[in-house]
Amino acid sequence: MVEEKTQSEQNTKSWSVPTGRRTDEWSECLVLVGKSNDRAAFTRFFRHFGPLIKAFALAGSSLSQAHADEIVQEVMLKVWQKADGFNPEKAAASTWIYTIARNCRTDMFRRLQKFDTPLAADDLSIELEEEEPFAVLHSRRGADRVRELMSQLPPDQAQILAKVYMEGKSHSEAAAELDLPLGTVKSRVRLAIQKLQVQMERL
Amino acid sequence: MVKHHPTTDFITDFAAGTLPVAQAACISAHLNYCDSCRRSAEQLQTIGGVLMEQLAPVTVSESVLESVLARLDEPAPLSFAQKPARQEAFDLPGLLTRIINGDFTQLTWKRITRALSVSSLQTGDSAYEFALYKIAAGGRIPEHDHGGSEMTLVLKGGFSDDRGTYHPGDFIFRQANETHMPVTIDGDECICLAVLDAPLKFTSWQYRWLNPFLQLRAG
Repeated sequence: MVEEKTQSEQNTKSWSVPTGRRTDEWSECLVLVGKSNDRAAFTRFFRHFGPLIKAFALAGSSLSQAHADEIVQEVMLKVWQKADGFNPEKAAASTWIYTIARNCRTDMFRRLQKFDTPLAADDLSIELEEEEPFAVLHSRRGADRVRELMSQLPPDQAQILAKVYMEGKSHSEAAAELDLPLGTVKSRVRLAIQKLQVQMERL
Repeated sequence: MVKHHPTTDFITDFAAGTLPVAQAACISAHLNYCDSCRRSAEQLQTIGGVLMEQLAPVTVSESVLESVLARLDEPAPLSFAQKPARQEAFDLPGLLTRIINGDFTQLTWKRITRALSVSSLQTGDSAYEFALYKIAAGGRIPEHDHGGSEMTLVLKGGFSDDRGTYHPGDFIFRQANETHMPVTIDGDECICLAVLDAPLKFTSWQYRWLNPFLQLRAG
């Protein structure tokens, strides 16, 4: 009886934060890559995130497989080069790699459209200061909390977030594709963000 | 202390990477000055990370992994990622230094009125003008209207208009048909970054004749 109870408790626990342990695993992986150029850890990281980056590259775009593979390569090279700057106290591995993938995809789209700009997407990224206790408290736990709250979002709000974040659509593009008024799209994004509790209070 | 911020809408679009490059550059420059928006952007990026984890994986062939492994010893390219600005000093956001390819002294200014000069910068964005506006000490910009939207970020000095007083790092967004007449403060010249999708339109009769000369210089 006691054993059964423990078993079901464990089930509930692992269900409520389904990927919690895995996230730590990937942060550890990145630290190994950054600290000791660990190629085995890098390969594990690649096998997990490579297919996700490729899915991200192809989301909502007509990008070819070859270009999507190119993005995977570029992102993973940057992972290798930047891993020593990854601080698991400051950010979740998923957030960190998302920003790299987002920037590589933006640059790829611009190259393909012959959009000539002196600014690479990376140039617009902001590095958090070392001493930001607030960031430490929220960014690391942030991903776990967002993951949990995300599963409770109404489908229409989750759908808009995916359009914006994964497909990189502007609000008006999302409105056109979903045949919704612009105001509806904007308010769904706002509602979703409120529910995910990522909006900061002004200091 | 920065008091005027972009809306969460703008920071969300920035975090999701969906803003046009000229507007994204202006938001990024604001983040240089503003701790709370920087944290906000960081938090909003966690949404992207979580959504990416939940995508259905698409198979990547072993040859891609092999070619990455073969390239690991290549030297990393230079990074221009920005460091937060130090509050004390007048510190040009890194990305502006990059666009200007130097500092303010190397800019060419075009004089519009006695008090106002403009220097257009190139972001490659064909829909938005990305320019520095300089108002001489004690000067003002004649009352004007916006044919479209205008993002403004104060870089040096400060100005005030009917809605507030703005200092370095402050971000102001105005839409079409919102007129204002910025006046410099503190007896210092004021330099702002402005991102426009339509030219300014002077509304007072003394300056209206200038309007045909105020073409949008996007690119």
